[in-house]
Amino acid sequence: MSAAIVVQGLTRRYGAVMAVDGISFAVGAGEIFGLLGPNGAGKTTTLECILGLGRPDAGRITVCGVSDSRDARARIGAVLQATGLQDKITPREALDLFRSFYPKPVATDALINRFGLREKQHAAYDTLSGGQKQRLALALAFVGDPQVFVLDEPTAGLDPQMRREVQDHICAMKEAGRAVLLATHDMDEAERLCDRLAVIAGGRIVATGTPKDLIAGSQGSRLEDVILQLTARS
Amino acid sequence: MTALLHITALSLKLNFRNRMAILYGYLFPLIFLVAFWAIYRNDPVPLALHVGQFLTVTVLGGACFGLPTTIVGERERGVWRRYVLAPVPRSTFVISILAARYVLLIIAALLQLALGLAFGMPLPLHPFDLWLGFSLVAFAFMAMGMVIAMLVGNVPAVQALGQCIFLPMLMIGGVAVQLESLPAWAQHIAAFFPGRYAVDVLQASAMGTGLTRLGFDFLALGLIGLAGSIAAAGMFRWDRSFAPNKAWVAVALGIWLVVGVLAELQGRITLQTAQDTQDVGTSRNYMASKSAPAPETSWRDVTDADYDKIAFNHLPPDTGIISPVSRADEVPDPVIVPELDRIRDALPAWAPGNVADPVQRTRNLLMLAAVPDILQMEQVERFVPRLVFARLQAVIPPRDLPRILYWIAMHPDDGDDAAIHQLQAFGLPDVTGPGKPARGRIMLYAFKLLGRLTGHIPPL
Repeated sequence: MSAAIVVQGLTRRYGAVMAVDGISFAVGAGEIFGLLGPNGAGKTTTLECILGLGRPDAGRITVCGVSDSRDARARIGAVLQATGLQDKITPREALDLFRSFYPKPVATDALINRFGLREKQHAAYDTLSGGQKQRLALALAFVGDPQVFVLDEPTAGLDPQMRREVQDHICAMKEAGRAVLLATHDMDEAERLCDRLAVIAGGRIVATGTPKDLIAGSQGSRLEDVILQLTARS
Repeated sequence: MTALLHITALSLKLNFRNRMAILYGYLFPLIFLVAFWAIYRNDPVPLALHVGQFLTVTVLGGACFGLPTTIVGERERGVWRRYVLAPVPRSTFVISILAARYVLLIIAALLQLALGLAFGMPLPLHPFDLWLGFSLVAFAFMAMGMVIAMLVGNVPAVQALGQCIFLPMLMIGGVAVQLESLPAWAQHIAAFFPGRYAVDVLQASAMGTGLTRLGFDFLALGLIGLAGSIAAAGMFRWDRSFAPNKAWVAVALGIWLVVGVLAELQGRITLQTAQDTQDVGTSRNYMASKSAPAPETSWRDVTDADYDKIAFNHLPPDTGIISPVSRADEVPDPVIVPELDRIRDALPAWAPGNVADPVQRTRNLLMLAAVPDILQMEQVERFVPRLVFARLQAVIPPRDLPRILYWIAMHPDDGDDAAIHQLQAFGLPDVTGPGKPARGRIMLYAFKLLGRLTGHIPPL
């Protein structure tokens, strides 16, 4: 399995605060790699550095062998927290717009069908439900037919049905041979979806392994207990 | 390039779906236009002398509110955070949003001009200059809008900061209130605001002599735009969580200071006090001796010795705004030439100018000079007296004219002033209200022409 994302010694400070402190990991093609940890652990900062939204103070990041941030962005599809669209834009317009950003985009209709947006394709963004907005966010992440997906809590705030639907899309990414880097708070989701996990606390990776390995290597019987033990210890 | 066009086109499309954007972007400029038309409804040529003002209001509004509201609103929603994940040069997004705003400003300006034309405003004399000048003004003000957008963190703050710039620029910056109507201190302050340079550039492009004589204004707007762009770039942030370095604001505002100081040092701030509405006094104010002149029973009793009793140097200067008279070598602005031609052509057939009594005939003709002066009809008021003087010399015998003028100047309240309501033939409004101010101006113009006829004032 070749590494689609390689992070080596990544460090990022905000003033006196060390948000990410020399973390390293790699995500292979066809793999879902989870980042787990409490709020403020450094998950989002790590993702932002990979996406070029933040500049690392130290370390190296390559995506599909490319270290230039703009070239890397062409290979990444991302769903981030705290992103949105204009109130009056429609899903179809948003997809058409984002298609113009990529050299070989996926057809708009294919994305609309795949993510169940046919009925709402001409509706204003501010009239969409939370689930529909998240479907659109996923569709936008797919527009460039990326090799790598970076997802920051993509199921946060969704109802169980929609959460399962989004998780199915994530599984489909893996089955298509894409690398998926997933930051999540949802332990069940991490256990169900992720091939490997990295537990982050205080800006450092405190444990890595498959969900089963992590559970087996600790005193807890559930992943949630394991994470609580690891992060409390750090 | 495709992305640039897509974002620009989409920004425009979304703007037209936003009711508030349409209200602020198009309705307000039209309301301002109607307000200008109503305020200056007595202008000889509707709106022609205020094109620079109403276009500047439009660009200023778009820069202070429209542009930063869009940018800050999208940044708050995380739209820009989403955009920058795309493999497109980030400058593409900034350029496209500026391009969209520029197009919106052009549309708003075209709507204003169209409505202005419907009100009787003439077509702009220099369309290319107007486009060029408008683009420069847009550049300068949009750079200012970008500074606002980078400085503030939320949309309400845009409104607050925008008003802090918009209102002073309107009131004392020479944009909504004409410089001539401002007190001296405000005219000096206006030199430090970009608004007055914008008005000059746009007015000269639309209805004046074009941009050729406006090097300083061009330079001022260019520098203000450049400094604003540099400051905005220095503070640029995609995400609201990033704090801008506010020291860059000093660059944007510092250039305002530099431009103002340069204007002052180069003597470009010519002060004009708004005294046009004040009482011009009585004929005694213009006599060498304050003692009353010997009473004559008829204008025929006036002698050359009477003229020497007048202190012609007490009269308001021809270059002022009270009873102005253009210089002999002064060329009228092309925009008022048709109006002057119309007055010249209508004069011979004007009934009040042909009444049998030569005194009343003279008084009536002087009324034609007095009314534009009272109404502060820019430029026109300076050239009409020359037409009136020429007509008087044609219809009143040379021997009688000085004596009649002296008589009228000494007896401004005599005679009939009904001619004030018969000026529509010249395209002048029917002036209502008391005739006293007009009689005062008739007195001044009688003195001024008398002085020229008798050699006390250099001839026309």
